[in-house]
Amino acid sequence: MKKSKKIMLVIVFSTMGFVLGFIILKNGTDLFQGLNIVIFALIIIGGIIAFFNANKKEQQEKDGLPTDDELSTRMKYKTGYYAYMASMYMWLIIFVAKGMFPNVETMLGGGILISCLIWAISKYIVKLKFDE
Amino acid sequence: MNNRIKELRARENLTQLDLAKLVEVRRETIVFLEKGKYNPSLRLAYDISKIFKSKIEDVFIFGKEL
Repeated sequence: MKKSKKIMLVIVFSTMGFVLGFIILKNGTDLFQGLNIVIFALIIIGGIIAFFNANKKEQQEKDGLPTDDELSTRMKYKTGYYAYMASMYMWLIIFVAKGMFPNVETMLGGGILISCLIWAISKYIVKLKFDE
Repeated sequence: MNNRIKELRARENLTQLDLAKLVEVRRETIVFLEKGKYNPSLRLAYDISKIFKSKIEDVFIFGKEL
């Protein structure tokens, strides 16, 4: 592993540890129950996906290839369309089932994170099924 | 639309990565093209044909089975 990558990982994990420690200090361990644990899991999944994507792009640049081209642009448009449609229904479900959430912040935060997850799933499906 | 990219690439002894570099696209795009899952833009079709020193219609076959 390259030195710069190691430094980046140390900074990321130190920041995460510091933020988590600060939250626990302020709110206690009550935070790691119920929906909150799902939200934390989504944040971590998002971080892992972003890390792998950044790595892939770096490798492409090293190989002398562009990180974006006409196919990736088409895929982005298609992914955006599917993610937008699915997110609409997701927000509808969230508003119908708003009694499930302890407060508005959790509802909105959770909704935004689920939107990100929907985008990642849409991207995967578009890649898998792309045929035009 | 079908194409003969895989065949021509093998004839020219090029890897997918080599061809991707030559036409300035990602390797994934070449994979999708070879599988016939993506119809390239006219610009890309022209660039690919130029690499194989062929006409566009010799590389990309419209409405016919290979």
